[in-house]
Amino acid sequence: MPAIKVRVNGRETAADVDERTLLATFIREQLEMTGTHVGCDTSQCGSCVVEVDGKTVKSCTMFAWQADGADITTIEGLADGDTLHPMQQAFRDHHGLQCGFCTPGMVMTAVAIAKQNPDPSVEEIRAALEGNICRCTGYQFIVEAVQAGAKAMRG
Amino acid sequence: MDTTPHKNRIGEAVRRVEDIRFLTGKGRYVDDVKLPNMVYAAMVRSPHAHADVKSIDASAALEIDGVLAVFTGADWKAAGYGPIPTKSAVKTFKDGSPLKEPPHHAMAIDRVRHAGEVVAVVVAETREIAREATEAVEVDYAPLPAVIGIKAALAPDAPQIWDIAPGNLCLDFELGNEEAQKKAFAAADHVVTLEMVNNRVTAVPIEPRGAVASYDKASDSYTLWNASQNIHANRDTIAEACLKIEKSKLHHIAPDVGGGFGAKNGVYPEPILVCHASKLVGRPVKWINDRGESFLSDTHGRDQISTVSLALDKDGTFRALRTETLGELGAYCATVGPFTPTGGSARTQGGPYKFDAIFYTAKAVFTNTALLDPYRGAGRPEASYQMDRIIDYAAANLGMDPQELRRKNLVPRDMLPMKTPMGLDVDSGDFPEVYKRLIAMTDRGGYEKRVKESAAKGLKRGFGVSAYLECTGGGPKEHAVVEFKDNGKVTLAVGSHSTGMGHETSFAQVLAGHLGIGMEDVEFRQADTDATPIGGGHGGSRGMEVGGSAVLQTARAVVAKGKEIAAHLFETSADKIEFEDGSFFEPGTNHTITIRDVIDASNDPDKLPDGLQPGCLNIGTTFERGIISIPNGAHAGEVEVDPETGVVKLVSYWVVDDFGTIVNPLLADGQVMGGVAQGVGQALMEEIVYDENGQLLTGSLMDYAMPRADDIPTMHLAFYEGAPTAKNLLGVKGAGEAGCVGAPPVVVNAVCDALKEYGVKHIDMPLTPEKVWRAIRAAGA
Amino acid sequence: MYAFEVQKPADLDTAKRDFESADDGQYLAGGQTLIPVLKQRLAMPSTLIPLDGIADIAGISVEGDSITVGAMTRHAAVAADKDIAKAIPALSKLAGGIGDPHVRNRGTIGGSLANNDPAADYPAAVLGLGATVVTDRREIEADNFFKGMFETALQPGEIITAVRFPIPECAGYVKLPNPATRYALVGVMVSRSGSKVRVAVTGAAPSVFRATDMEAALTMNFSPDAISGTEVPADGLNSDMHASRDYRAHLVGVLARRAVAEALA
Repeated sequence: MPAIKVRVNGRETAADVDERTLLATFIREQLEMTGTHVGCDTSQCGSCVVEVDGKTVKSCTMFAWQADGADITTIEGLADGDTLHPMQQAFRDHHGLQCGFCTPGMVMTAVAIAKQNPDPSVEEIRAALEGNICRCTGYQFIVEAVQAGAKAMRG
Repeated sequence: MDTTPHKNRIGEAVRRVEDIRFLTGKGRYVDDVKLPNMVYAAMVRSPHAHADVKSIDASAALEIDGVLAVFTGADWKAAGYGPIPTKSAVKTFKDGSPLKEPPHHAMAIDRVRHAGEVVAVVVAETREIAREATEAVEVDYAPLPAVIGIKAALAPDAPQIWDIAPGNLCLDFELGNEEAQKKAFAAADHVVTLEMVNNRVTAVPIEPRGAVASYDKASDSYTLWNASQNIHANRDTIAEACLKIEKSKLHHIAPDVGGGFGAKNGVYPEPILVCHASKLVGRPVKWINDRGESFLSDTHGRDQISTVSLALDKDGTFRALRTETLGELGAYCATVGPFTPTGGSARTQGGPYKFDAIFYTAKAVFTNTALLDPYRGAGRPEASYQMDRIIDYAAANLGMDPQELRRKNLVPRDMLPMKTPMGLDVDSGDFPEVYKRLIAMTDRGGYEKRVKESAAKGLKRGFGVSAYLECTGGGPKEHAVVEFKDNGKVTLAVGSHSTGMGHETSFAQVLAGHLGIGMEDVEFRQADTDATPIGGGHGGSRGMEVGGSAVLQTARAVVAKGKEIAAHLFETSADKIEFEDGSFFEPGTNHTITIRDVIDASNDPDKLPDGLQPGCLNIGTTFERGIISIPNGAHAGEVEVDPETGVVKLVSYWVVDDFGTIVNPLLADGQVMGGVAQGVGQALMEEIVYDENGQLLTGSLMDYAMPRADDIPTMHLAFYEGAPTAKNLLGVKGAGEAGCVGAPPVVVNAVCDALKEYGVKHIDMPLTPEKVWRAIRAAGA
Repeated sequence: MYAFEVQKPADLDTAKRDFESADDGQYLAGGQTLIPVLKQRLAMPSTLIPLDGIADIAGISVEGDSITVGAMTRHAAVAADKDIAKAIPALSKLAGGIGDPHVRNRGTIGGSLANNDPAADYPAAVLGLGATVVTDRREIEADNFFKGMFETALQPGEIITAVRFPIPECAGYVKLPNPATRYALVGVMVSRSGSKVRVAVTGAAPSVFRATDMEAALTMNFSPDAISGTEVPADGLNSDMHASRDYRAHLVGVLARRAVAEALA
């Protein structure tokens, strides 16, 4: 059983994981951080997106041991205490979520979009959301939220 | 976005309370429920669409380390559990004989009738072991010929799925006046007929279905956490009909639910099976579907073939409509199942258009597929599609302008209230005004320029419109109860619950707005059979209409009682007290007291008049609506079609909806946009496909295409608030389903408009690139 | 998932030894195909041998008239690389259109080629640009690499280390994505270098292939019109619920013309 060390939301964690344990399962079951969701088995939906060493990944399509030594950020790691991250705040302000299930992956993706492109156009945002499926919102308010969140992030 | 305070907060774009939880990863969905000592169940599902189960050998599975139990249909039968009954509101054939309802047990007993049906359940220490052990359960099947497709099921030589249902027919149905329809057809100048398919789709809430059951031996009772939209009604069914226990012995809870859209509305086998599993192993049991299982076992929606005929005069005046529908049910009658293609699709035939006569017939048919049950709209999208497609098809065949046909035939405002030829009470609305406002949004003046711009890119541009009328549904009663706490908070529990719609905000908004208290002081409880005595869950766009009205009614009862307390304190009579902006006062005097002080007084025996007890403001009321409301509106869109590849891109979308009073415009916008995206998905890409043996070909998101962000254009929405309904306390007309009622005909009409130069007059959904390409080729040939 | 063990080699020799000593070893590159396959229990390797710990098989370098992409280079890195964007913009576009952003952060060129999915994008790049696949033991010309559906010239245990793309005068890649997966229903890579024209088609057949009639026509006249009458026979093409073979054959022509136009733009 591989032993791994990861830094999750700024906190160092050591754990033994089964070879088969996916990063998503590790985060949900072993770290008991259930904000990361699993909505499909074929790497389509994007509900499980987290950031690993600065890059968004589908945590259902990566083994936990592949993250050994990595710096991981999940949805739980965005807010500063009770203060929402600007992207979280933008999602709330623009009604960018309904049932909330795809939301953690959406927000993690949105933060990455804004980091790469501080002033993204509507078309760029829609293209960059290709790996995240939302069934509730019809995407428009998500797109507006990403734009507003990017603006807030660039200050 | 407008955040102006509104009178009683009705109409205010209040930001959602629940968002904080969801945005920080603190939502609690069923897969997040973790109980001490919990174990896991996994389903052994049939790979065959139709087969006899000759034997099941679980011995190899039971030998796997960590496997605790395996049970099968034989065990199920021996335990004496009952089948899941249908609650279809249409219960009889035209001749009055009862619909054919085969027993729908939670697991197959002796025979499987669709691929994915549960034949055995494995319970194990971990999810992984349970899943793996399902492969070690050896099931000996003797395959039978499968019945796939509505027309094949009705063919004279079709294999029979159920002995009690000759011809695979569950139910036939008619509504309307056939005599009048025939007469109008005979007198009309034109009759245009088109067979159209409403493609089979599925809701795909991003949270897969799942449940956790915990059996308590001491009290012989169960607690069931279930990703469900409808816990009260389903509690009754699961307890009384299936488990054969008193309903008080089943505490049914829906935690946060990750979308439903109808597919989490009915009673499913697996939650019942995990109740049994928990009793069997004496530990809490969790089951979560994976996405592949969801495609096999979630209910599907639509799946109708309809022959629609429109009779009209040479000036374009509609005379009569006839629709003959064949609707699929799958292998059993689902919870609402047989109602959707019959009554559910009949009621809104004809839409907002004026007709002398309408006649609707339907057959509901069994096939060896997963079950059909409501999917957002459940019959109204089908009716709207039929109506607005036949208009454009008639216009194309008769050389008329489809938009002019619509405008000319809309029911004028002064005809309301009216009863439609389908018997639907339409109390309020202004269809011509809504239509006019829609068209005004669409920049028709700039259209020719846009057509040229598209042409310069080698693309054909088209414009499509629909004018819809639908009706709400679901349980007619809802309960709302408030309890004022010592800490200044008030708990509000409502039997309707959100699977994403935001009741935690909008119901609190209604209560806080009416009472003049802070929204932050409202603690919302939903989806718990212990929290409210009754509840209608979510379905039929009923949330605000029935649940919101219950909240308002309860708030009014609190104010009425508060007036008695204020009057006592002012030493006057309650009829002299008025209430506004959170204060009780006696006009003409300096007597005034805040609701907060009245609440405090309500818990102090010294401050209460005779007859009132401490806690007297803790009130629950049940609201029952008289008739359902009639949301209506009009949608329009423009598409660009690549004639070489057949690729369709929806580039513009406009909506005007009449939902009566808008309580929270932000949330209403969200409902419309989400619904439109689902309708666009159905029109362009979504389709559940079985092969001729009943194998599901669209068994994952690798094959079932869903709209992504770049498939949906920016939508422009407006609400018409000039005709609120008097049929509920808020004046609202349910907003939840309208988006996907209006959208499919817009997309198909726009594509056919774009391709009119080729002579394309109709393409069945979904309009995949290949289908569009073939339609162009076939028309040009 | 069936049980397996994991070896984590830090160099190629160890990786090969790990493979040889395993009952049924399986290299793991980016995992964006292999992990879903394992999750569906469609494969049961005894040992997974991840290649991401091996130095020197990731990264992008320009040498004279070619660009070398290390096997473990992620799609996102190829899509974002400035040298590639300048030298072979069609390759940037192709890499930037694989899967989705998260898949591109993990998936690798080596993994994609070793898998040779009939609908993958990279095989079209390698065949359409006339690249060379470099392994731990030899160099394989693109024309000899792709052998059939999910089949390549790789021998058991052989590891792709890099892909060397000659820089063409011009190239274009156009695909029609499957709406569900974003894989290519059909994708066509066209390139021209002097008198040499290559047209590689992915998604349409069991394996990527060259449309030789089109190449001949384009060699005479490198313009979309030159292939307006050239058709790819539908026989032998893939046919499934997303696209019939007739439609795919038609798409090959349309997309090839568009790829030529893009190459000329």
